[in-house]
Amino acid sequence: MSDNLAIQLLNVSKEYSRNSMRIPVLQGLNLDVRQGEFLALMGPSGSGKTTLLNLIAGLDRATSGDVNVDGLNLSQLSESQLTRWRADHIGFIFQMYNLIPVMTAQENVELPLLLQPVSRSERRKRAATALKIVGLDGREDHYPRQLSGGQEQRVAIARAIVTDPALIVADEPTGDLDRTSAEEILDLLDTLHRDLDKTIVMVTHDPQAASRASRLLRLDKGQLVGDETQAQAKSRMGVS
Amino acid sequence: MKYFSYVWRNMRRNRLRTCLTIGSIAISLFLMMIMLSFLSVNQNVSESLKGYNRIIAMSSQGFATAVPIRFVNEVAQMPEVVAASPLSWYGGKYQEEVMPFAQFGIYPDKILQIWDELELPDDQKNAFASDPSGCVIGFKMAAERNIKIGDSMPLKGTIYPFDLNLTVRGIYKSPPDRDGRMLMFNWNLLEEGLKQEFQGRQAGNAGTVFAKIKPGGDLAAFCRKVDAATINSDTPTRTQTEDAFVAQFAELWGDMRTMISAVGLAVVVSLVFVSGNAMAMALRERTTEIAVLKAIGFTNGKILGMVLTESILVALMGGIVGALGCKLLFDVFDVSPYTAGALPFFFIPWQTALLGLGSSLMIGLVSGLFPAVAAARLGVIQGLRKVV
Repeated sequence: MSDNLAIQLLNVSKEYSRNSMRIPVLQGLNLDVRQGEFLALMGPSGSGKTTLLNLIAGLDRATSGDVNVDGLNLSQLSESQLTRWRADHIGFIFQMYNLIPVMTAQENVELPLLLQPVSRSERRKRAATALKIVGLDGREDHYPRQLSGGQEQRVAIARAIVTDPALIVADEPTGDLDRTSAEEILDLLDTLHRDLDKTIVMVTHDPQAASRASRLLRLDKGQLVGDETQAQAKSRMGVS
Repeated sequence: MKYFSYVWRNMRRNRLRTCLTIGSIAISLFLMMIMLSFLSVNQNVSESLKGYNRIIAMSSQGFATAVPIRFVNEVAQMPEVVAASPLSWYGGKYQEEVMPFAQFGIYPDKILQIWDELELPDDQKNAFASDPSGCVIGFKMAAERNIKIGDSMPLKGTIYPFDLNLTVRGIYKSPPDRDGRMLMFNWNLLEEGLKQEFQGRQAGNAGTVFAKIKPGGDLAAFCRKVDAATINSDTPTRTQTEDAFVAQFAELWGDMRTMISAVGLAVVVSLVFVSGNAMAMALRERTTEIAVLKAIGFTNGKILGMVLTESILVALMGGIVGALGCKLLFDVFDVSPYTAGALPFFFIPWQTALLGLGSSLMIGLVSGLFPAVAAARLGVIQGLRKVV
C-alpha cells in the first residue's frame, strides 16, 4: 500500500444471506483513496453506497477481499480491536445527527474523548475548540432540542473531529437539512478537507453536495461505474 | 466514573417511568420488610436477651398450670442466683380497652434486679415497695394514656374473679426492644385475692419463676438443675433461658414463616420482571443511540456496564426508599399503639433492612442483565439502520 493512501480496497465483495439466499451488495470492488481526498459516493438506492462506507469505517466486514485503512487491514482485527480502532481513527457524521438528547452540545462532543486517556479539563478544552471550529461557541450548554437541524449537525461534526481522526465518514450529512443549512454543513466539510487535511468519504444523493467533493465515485448494483475528479465531472457536464 | 453522568441522565430521561419503577420496587420492599420483620423481631429480641443471664421456669404442663410460690424461694436460695421473683400473668381489663397489656404480679424488691435494663428512679422504687397496692407502668403506656404517678389504675379481672385497684407509684423506662407498656404490681395482692376465692385453693400460685443468674454461670446446666429439683414434685417445671422462652413464640409462627418467605421470594421475582420490562423498554427506545455509541468506539463491555449500572441504580433507589425508608419510619414512628396490643414493640431489624437493600441490588442486576446483554450484542449496522 502506497504511503499516501488513506484507503485501499482490494477486490472487496460483500453479500448478505437472507433465508438461505445470498444477496450480493458489493462485487469485486477496487479503490484507492489518497490522504486528504474528499470523496463523494453517489448512486441509486441499493447500489451499495452505505455498505461501502460501513466497510471503510470498520462498522462491517467484507465477505471477501481486503479493506486497508491507513495501512491497516481491517479484516484482520477482532471485533473489540475494530471498536477501539474506530474510536481512535474515525469520525462519524450521520444523516439524523444522532446526538444524545440528554446531553448538552459540549457533553455530546466530549463523548468520544471519554474513550481516550484524557483528563476532564482537557476534554472540556478540546470539545470547546471543536465547537468553535464548527461555529457553535457560546452554545455549549444547549441541549439538542434547543438547536436547529443545521446546528445539531454541526455539533455532530464537532463530535466527529474532536479526537482529530484522519478519516471522516459522512452518511447523507445534508439529507435532513434545508438548502441553507446544507450549504453551511458542506462549507464546514470543505474547511475540514482543505484546512485540516482530513480525508472525507461522504455518501450523498444530492448532486450539489457531491459537487463539493474533490472526487466523485458512482456505484450501481454493487459495482463502481464512475470515478472522476470534480474537474473531470464539471468538464463532462460542461460546467466551468 | 466518567460515564456516570451519562448513566444518571439516562435514568432521568423518562422520569415518570423511572419513578414508577422505583415506586413499585419501594412499595413492594416496604411491605416485604414489614412481613419479614414480624418474623424476625421475636428472633431479634431473643438474641438481644442472651447476655442477661435470665431463666424462666414454667410448669411442664404449660401456662395453664401454675408453679407454686415455694419454688421461687427455692430457686432464690440456689447459690448461682442473683434474684428470683414470681411472674404471674393477671390479664385484667383497663377501662374499656379490649386488648390487655402485660400485667404481672412480681416481687417489687427483686424484679428490677432481674430486669436490670429497666430504669426506675430510687424514690419510685421505694414508693412501689412500700405501697401494697402500688404498681409501676412502662413509659410508653404512661405517655399514651396520659397516666401520671399517683393516678389510680383499676384493673377488672378477666382470668381471676376479682379486680385490682392499683395506684401508679413508678414509671419505668426501657430500651426500644423491650416492652414499654407493662404493668407490674406486688404479687402479694394477687395472693390476697386468690385466698378470698375458691376457698383459697388457688393461692400460692407464682405463675412462672423468673430469675437472674450470676455472670459466668452455665445457664443450660442451671435450667437442668431447677428441673431436677422439681421433677418429683406435683408440678415439675420446664426451665428455659429467657431467650429460648421468647424464641418459642417465634416458633409458633411455624408454617407461616415459610409462607411469608415464599411470598417475599415471589415479590422479588415479580420485581425482577417489572424492573426488567422497564429497562428493556428504555433500551428499545435508545437502540440507535447505543449503535452510535458503539460506532464511535464504545466496546460491548462498556455498553453492558453502563446499562447494568443504570438498572442497578434504579433498583437500588427503590431499595433505599423501600427498605431503609421502612426502617427509618418504624424507628421514628411507633406503630405498636395501633396494633391493639398485638405488638408491644415493632421495629425493622438492621439485618432485615440490609436484606431488602441487598434484594434490590440483586433485582437491579438480574433485571438489567438481559437488556444489557442485548444492548451489548446489538449490531451497529442493525441499530443505525433504524434511522440512517
